[in-house]
Amino acid sequence: MMSATAFRQVTQDRSLFVPAGLFLVLLCAVAFRGQGLFTNNGLAGAILVATPLILTTLAITPIVMAGRGAVDLSVGPLMGFVNVTLITWLVGNGITHPVAIIAWAVGLGAAFQLVQALVIIYVRVAPIIVTLSGFLVLSGVNLMVMSRPGGVAPDWMLSWGAGTSVFSPVLLLLLGAFAIWGVLRGTMFYRNLRMTGADERMAYTSGVQVDVVRIIAHMVGGVFAGLAALSYTALISSGDPTQGSTYTLQAVTALVLGGASLSGGRGGALGSTLGAINMFLISYLLSTFNFGTVSGFVTQMAFGLILVGSLLVNVFVISRRTVA
Amino acid sequence: MISTVLNTEIGATRGASPLRKHKSISIGFCLLACLLILGALLVPGFVSPQNARSILLLAAFLGLASVGQTLCALVGALDLSIPYIIGGANILLPSLMVAGLPAPVAMIVVLLLGILVGACNGALSFRLQGQALIMSLGLGFAAVGAVQIYTSLGSQFGGTVFAPVPGWLRNLSAFNGKFFGLPFPPVIVIWAFIAVALGWIMHNTWFGRSLYAVGGSRTAAARLGISEFKIWTVIHSVSGAMSATTGMLLLGFSGGGFVGVGDPYLFTTVAAVVIGGTSLLGGAGGYGATVLGVLVLTVLTSLLVGLGLNFPAQQAVVGLLIVPMVAIYARSPHIRNQI
Repeated sequence: MMSATAFRQVTQDRSLFVPAGLFLVLLCAVAFRGQGLFTNNGLAGAILVATPLILTTLAITPIVMAGRGAVDLSVGPLMGFVNVTLITWLVGNGITHPVAIIAWAVGLGAAFQLVQALVIIYVRVAPIIVTLSGFLVLSGVNLMVMSRPGGVAPDWMLSWGAGTSVFSPVLLLLLGAFAIWGVLRGTMFYRNLRMTGADERMAYTSGVQVDVVRIIAHMVGGVFAGLAALSYTALISSGDPTQGSTYTLQAVTALVLGGASLSGGRGGALGSTLGAINMFLISYLLSTFNFGTVSGFVTQMAFGLILVGSLLVNVFVISRRTVA
Repeated sequence: MISTVLNTEIGATRGASPLRKHKSISIGFCLLACLLILGALLVPGFVSPQNARSILLLAAFLGLASVGQTLCALVGALDLSIPYIIGGANILLPSLMVAGLPAPVAMIVVLLLGILVGACNGALSFRLQGQALIMSLGLGFAAVGAVQIYTSLGSQFGGTVFAPVPGWLRNLSAFNGKFFGLPFPPVIVIWAFIAVALGWIMHNTWFGRSLYAVGGSRTAAARLGISEFKIWTVIHSVSGAMSATTGMLLLGFSGGGFVGVGDPYLFTTVAAVVIGGTSLLGGAGGYGATVLGVLVLTVLTSLLVGLGLNFPAQQAVVGLLIVPMVAIYARSPHIRNQI
């Protein structure tokens, strides 16, 4: 049933043409090159590796949708912050109860985003500047909390990272995040969010409380960032203060690959998920080739070119719509 | 030097909002003065020729890298390819010299490649302006990947290139470099020259005026017969050229090619533009403001180093200070006043 809804969405929303098409092409290429992905172990590993990126991308989706060029640069370091505090402060002090851990991750993510939203709204500084400063602060603080990668995840989480079964707790996290999004889609908030993103002034004059919409969008993003941190902790089974900027850039890239517009109004969970999965598939596909010592550079170059290519295709798809 | 640039730019934006312009510049000067006084009081040896020289040297690199970012911000774009072009130029130059090209020819090749990447960047991102930032990121990835593939073919040291750096290049930007016998590295003079030249261009030429016009209002600029596409491409080319130049000059500073050398410039160039008071939405600000931003950022970092803070702590403090600094002069009006 879920795939039927997804299919309908793809056929209706032109911005999903490119990511969905790319997804199919990549899937065929993977079927050709490395069938290992379609085994039980391969899929389980793929879910484990791709989930942190999918969730991070979902975390910036509502914030970008709210418009004002609000690309949340701080999301990577925020995920890192939850990760290192979880390992150092909670597990380091013997607090390992699942409820406490999950509550900490989700609560911390939402609380940080609430602060950012309040600064954006009441200090009235451009969102990109606020999130840039959040990025710098958290990158620094992460290294102060934990100077190098280390520590261990709580015992109950260690088995998550084994990647032996498709139906792992990490998949549950992912499905949980989709469920939250699904519930949000049906609410008034979601309609107001799209309206605010498309034209904030119009939304304001027609009685939408844009400030409230913005605060909720940020807090929802924070919740997803917390979930992303949980799946990331499960993936590496430890703490790592250094991955912040990598995840920020990857998440923004995945978002755009998924057809969202950084100027707001356009985008959604399906596109973001497709974008993140496409990024995973690209690197998986490239890893099946043997480029020797330059493989990392080939991957980087291919990423860049695919990004540029898909943006250009997007231009033609969208411009055709305006002509028609 | 700064005051000339500032004066020309105050003139250039006279029509836009003279009051706000003066305000942000004077606040910037006050901020800089406060930081210098704080440094003099708190850090022994802060007011010394050595420290001034090192601050100016580091500011020169950041300042050169921020030229493109400022121009892009003036029309509402952000160029995220800067760190990658810096890193690419930094390893491509020594690798070309090892391959047997004479140093000046190699430098021209690198510069032209930088301009080419920038021009592609501008031309390709013109149609999708909201996504310009991601387009530049993608092209940056592609460019640095290609350079790394080229430099590491037949070598087992990916990302690092070992080659003798010519003495004159080292003198140009090393800490103990000499400018015609005077005890400071010539890169500071190069930066000053570019800043003044840019200030003059922005004020006195059709190009500079058009840039502000496009940043201010696209429709109005189009009515004036200004080719937005041309402006967009030219500023991105300038950005590519300046990034390549910074990358090459950094080679003289560090003495060896390393692709990661550009990484810190991704967010610091944006921070310098923002602290200077240039709006990221376009239309207001200028390179003089960025020069102030660069100096504030460098003096602040030097002060924090002097106080014994390590790198993570410096980063956190700079991050914490950006919002209040920007809030003093760049608050946007409440939405009910924007309608």
